[in-house]
Amino acid sequence: MTPTVSASGLSLRYGGTRALDDVSLRLTRGVTGLLGPNGAGKTTLLRVLATAVPPDRGAFTVLGHDPATSRGRQDVRRSLGYLPQTPGFHPDFTAFEFVDYVAILKELTDRGARHREVRRVLEEVDLGDVRGRRIKRLSGGMRQRVALAAALVGDPGFLVLDEPTVGLDPEQRMRFRELIAQAGEGRTVLLSTHQTEDVAMLCNRVVVLAGGQVRFDGTPAELTARAAGQVWSSTERDPGALAGWRTGTGSFRNLGDPPTGADLLEPTLEDGYLLTLDGAGAEVAAA
Amino acid sequence: MTWHVSEEDLRAYARGELAPPVLWSADAHLTACAQCRGVLADVSDPVALDAGWERLDAELDAPRLGLFESLLVRIGVADHTARLLAATPVLRGSWLGSVVAVLVMTVVVANSRPDAGTPTLFLALAPLLPLAGVALSYGPALDPTYEMAVVSPTHGFRLLMIRTVAVLVAGLGLNGLATLALPEYGLRALAWLLPALALTATGLALTPRLGPVLAPALVGGSWVALLLTADALRAADGDPLAPFTAAGQGVAAAVAALAAGLLFLLRDRFDLFNGSAA
Repeated sequence: MTPTVSASGLSLRYGGTRALDDVSLRLTRGVTGLLGPNGAGKTTLLRVLATAVPPDRGAFTVLGHDPATSRGRQDVRRSLGYLPQTPGFHPDFTAFEFVDYVAILKELTDRGARHREVRRVLEEVDLGDVRGRRIKRLSGGMRQRVALAAALVGDPGFLVLDEPTVGLDPEQRMRFRELIAQAGEGRTVLLSTHQTEDVAMLCNRVVVLAGGQVRFDGTPAELTARAAGQVWSSTERDPGALAGWRTGTGSFRNLGDPPTGADLLEPTLEDGYLLTLDGAGAEVAAA
Repeated sequence: MTWHVSEEDLRAYARGELAPPVLWSADAHLTACAQCRGVLADVSDPVALDAGWERLDAELDAPRLGLFESLLVRIGVADHTARLLAATPVLRGSWLGSVVAVLVMTVVVANSRPDAGTPTLFLALAPLLPLAGVALSYGPALDPTYEMAVVSPTHGFRLLMIRTVAVLVAGLGLNGLATLALPEYGLRALAWLLPALALTATGLALTPRLGPVLAPALVGGSWVALLLTADALRAADGDPLAPFTAAGQGVAAAVAALAAGLLFLLRDRFDLFNGSAA
């Protein structure tokens, strides 16, 4: 399958910090989850792929367009939908006016066609009934859906979502997951998240980033399989475990090299993720 | 109904060629007037009519324009440009009110000393207002949609220029009105104009290198330092400060031109994110 995004050797330093270190990726249709701890470089990678920030080294293309040139960058942006980590709004705008504003930024200048597109994307995120309501009067979940609607304007082939489920209550989070799954049909979505549940429920592929480097790139099942035989249960916290925590049943769930005769458990995606981070030198015990 | 859409306008409407604001009047009227809808049906081909109803449907969904946007559209600004301007953070009553308050204060001070040769406080402050206004209209600190705007296909420099021109028109216009309140100073009261353009252009030209906060702050600080230095060096109390002399105005014009040229050369730098790392 022809990749939507093809990136090779992306590196970027902010002052003395190496935010990205030789990142190579190929993204195809479907939802790819980007997992990593705080400071892993997720937002930086998304900003680079969204053409907001150029890399110091390396190159990438989006739908065949090379953003290294001004012309190529504009072409990439015409194919892009971007939902930043903390989307900002003009609070006095209504939902319709805000999405209309973003549609203008996306070069939809014909009033009639633009308004039809705004209505379409607001309907797509189930906000058709509140399109005339001011954004400052919408709930956090609704605002996030307004931002998603703005990202969907123009039916972009590449959708970049930076931690869109943060701060949402469980019901809103589930609703938002449905919308992301729907948005992922027929296009390429890169979803940055802290939540392994997001990846387990939505993604056909997952990339783990830590210290600015790709530590894992595969399917969620493959990430889960990394923890096979490395998760066990015990009545006390096992001092030899890399990480361990008391579960709701009162027993401890341990990760690492199990002792002989340990009561092995079925691994989860989170187990695979934590063990991958441990291999990257990240702080797993804090989990 | 006291009026009806003319047949000629209805034909243009059916062809999708009726332009705002007549188009909007026709949209609103057609929803309530069966007679005009009947005429429209007679003068339209069915396919074009369906497209027209679809457009009308979408138009009815669109909320009414705010006062500021309506005003812009009425004076001939394209509706999409008006929406971009409505999203400019400083083009709000609070900012414009603050500018007016500062100008009124400086004009009152200047008029309270009619024997002074130059309205120094007014001339010192007036150039800073457009500089601050432009600085506050663009950038991650004050534009909540900055990150979305940067990755949009609209070139960042174009957006910057649209907003800069609007803020400058508003700022310079208010400064100009304040100048009219100082008739006894004659043309000397206009000596803020070239420094205002020089400071604004320099602030923008330095933004790609220093960022949208430090650049205008540094330029504003330099202006104040320059005035204090000129004050310390002037020969007599009644003399104008050096920036407000003919030579000083020439320097300001040259700086404005150089900064505008540099800004144009650096235009692509406004197309990239200029904020803190995540």
